Amino acid sequence: MDIAFLTESFLKLLSGLPLTLELTFFAFVIGALLALLLALMRDAPLWPLRAFVRTFVFVMRGTPLLVQIFLIYYGLGQFRPFLQDLGLWSVFREPYWCAIMALALNSATYGSEILRGALGSVPPNEIEAARACGMSGVLLYRRIVLPIALRQALPSYGNELILMVKATSLASIITMMDVTGVAARLIAESYRPVEVFIAAGVIYLAINLTLSRAIAVVDWWLSPHLRRATPKQAVPHG
Amino acid sequence: MADTPSALSLRNIRKSFGQTEVLKGVSIEARAGEVIAILGASGSGKSTLLRCANLLELPDSGEIAVGGETVKLRQNGKSLAISDRAQVDRLRARVAMVFQSFNLWSHMTILQNIIEAPVHVQKRDRQSCIKEAEQLLEKVGIREKRDDFPAHLSGGQQQRAAIARALAMRPEVLLFDEPTSALDPERVGEVLRVIRTLAEEGRTMLVVTHEMSFARDVASRVIFLHKGVIEEDGPAALVFANPGSDRFARFIADIRPQGV
Amino acid sequence: MTDLLQLVSFGPDGWGRSLALAALMTLAVASTGFAIGLVIGGLLAWGRIAGNLGVRLGAEAYTTVMRGIPDLLVIYLFYFGGSLAVTNLFQSFGREGFTGVPPFLAGAAAIGCISGAYQAEVFRGAFRALSPGEIEAGRSMGMHRWLLFRRIIAPQIARHALPGIGNIWQMALKESALISITGLVELLRQSQIAAGSTRRPFEFYLIAAGIYLTITWVTQLGFEAMERRSQRGIHRNTP
Repeated sequence: MDIAFLTESFLKLLSGLPLTLELTFFAFVIGALLALLLALMRDAPLWPLRAFVRTFVFVMRGTPLLVQIFLIYYGLGQFRPFLQDLGLWSVFREPYWCAIMALALNSATYGSEILRGALGSVPPNEIEAARACGMSGVLLYRRIVLPIALRQALPSYGNELILMVKATSLASIITMMDVTGVAARLIAESYRPVEVFIAAGVIYLAINLTLSRAIAVVDWWLSPHLRRATPKQAVPHG
Repeated sequence: MADTPSALSLRNIRKSFGQTEVLKGVSIEARAGEVIAILGASGSGKSTLLRCANLLELPDSGEIAVGGETVKLRQNGKSLAISDRAQVDRLRARVAMVFQSFNLWSHMTILQNIIEAPVHVQKRDRQSCIKEAEQLLEKVGIREKRDDFPAHLSGGQQQRAAIARALAMRPEVLLFDEPTSALDPERVGEVLRVIRTLAEEGRTMLVVTHEMSFARDVASRVIFLHKGVIEEDGPAALVFANPGSDRFARFIADIRPQGV
Repeated sequence: MTDLLQLVSFGPDGWGRSLALAALMTLAVASTGFAIGLVIGGLLAWGRIAGNLGVRLGAEAYTTVMRGIPDLLVIYLFYFGGSLAVTNLFQSFGREGFTGVPPFLAGAAAIGCISGAYQAEVFRGAFRALSPGEIEAGRSMGMHRWLLFRRIIAPQIARHALPGIGNIWQMALKESALISITGLVELLRQSQIAAGSTRRPFEFYLIAAGIYLTITWVTQLGFEAMERRSQRGIHRNTP
């Protein structure tokens, strides 16, 4: 166990950190928006919409993420002329955007399931009370349903963020130099897999720890109604 | 009566949970054929005492003997610990317990529940165990439930199945830990009837219960426990007609009997 | 469309046979890894439930690491690290050059270690769902610990754990695609080869996706059937 080499690798691996974080952030945000769309579509009145979502979720959950990445990056390359005509080729040619797209779509699938559960768990009584006040449609969703549902979804969705960090490592297979990509190169050059593994592992664990803490803070911040009541001043009698 | 062998003996049992002393040196000697009702308010220690009898609870000090054989225990800090595991398993197979919440094994049918211990613990022949189990099911009145799962039976039926399961072990002593407390009032009667039948057969039984009329009519002996101390211990008829302690007199007056 | 069918035909020009064999390889490495994971998961859960402080902390650390680090890194570790260890071993016996650890073993071991961490959580949850009263009844009848475990505890843990374990199987199946980087010719690698050879990546990755989907779907049905069977008698069907 060469400590000097370990530290050296650690520093080299940090060069991949920005890319890992970028991929995570973009894919997560785009994925979350798509997840919301899918979750709302899932219970839409139009049957084709519902069927589409169910099929989409079934396919995405049943196939490996790597296959999805390959389909978008290598597979769509087969349709280059078509995409060039649409002006989209510059996007689909980049492994960066292909990775983000695949990661976002995959995350949207699991995210939509989480959001569906959360939307379904909003107490009907509270919705009824809102309707009784005259709220409906977008206002009802914006002020009552979504705030409650999002708080409910937070722990599971937070977990989804951590899974996303791990998933970005697959981008290294399509030539992206994220932390895992740099790690792969370092292992190939130095033949010291154990030290590189430890160094890379530490970086990922540090990211996850930070994100877990941040999520816990957001959760705490959004739930003052679940904390113990602070004792108020006793109202004097008489 | 003094010549009849001791079926179960608990001597000087002390037990504390944290700071609370629940049993303060309690002794019971159960002779063969006695039906002992153990009464007391909640928190009096009666369930704890019963559970010491088959070592589901370990006392802090005291002695336990089954059929004359003393259980080997060793000192372990503040309380006692089992020093001979095999002996405890062997003795437990001679003392059967019926629980307040039935505790039937949910993943087995009623029949499987009944033959489980005879076959696997007592290593008896499976076919003869099944035969005996069917007779017991007949005896407690749920023969048709043989292949059903516990979840499909009512509370009263489940408790009767639990009694059949206890009887299948051919025990020398039967322990009942508040057998009817978890039942709806309509169901209490059917279970008490079964227990009464067993008492009339001359089995040795210790029954922790709230059912006053049952204690008065079926038990041969009544023990009244209050805050970890025995305040009454005598023949049922005597104790009920002439309570020695004021507390017991108030106790039997306060609690209204249900069922049989 | 006939073009597509020709691609996957089982004839000499078609890739059908190779893909079918590769699919079998996928199943083989996934199930081997899953089985290893069952053992590791069981041990970890046991350690966290019944172990002393050191064992519990160790198990928790293992779970945190395996769940927090990308699967790809674990595979690299097992494949390259394993090969390194084997090479050193063989060199000390005088054999020259590089000896690689078989990719199947490295892959299955990696999947096993990762899924074991997740399976431990499932087993822990299943254990917590046990009914203490039923265990007490067994003890009160003189059942010794092994008998109690074998006849009462284990069947009930299995019943409660089944849904979670089914999910982890699906995970293992999808993880097996990552093993393709070691060169093992499982389904993804084979499709990669076919795609490269025919310059038809879209069709072949689509076909691969279809095969994965079929395997996922069929095994899911199997798990659901097992769940239904294990639940019989648990739910009241009287009104």
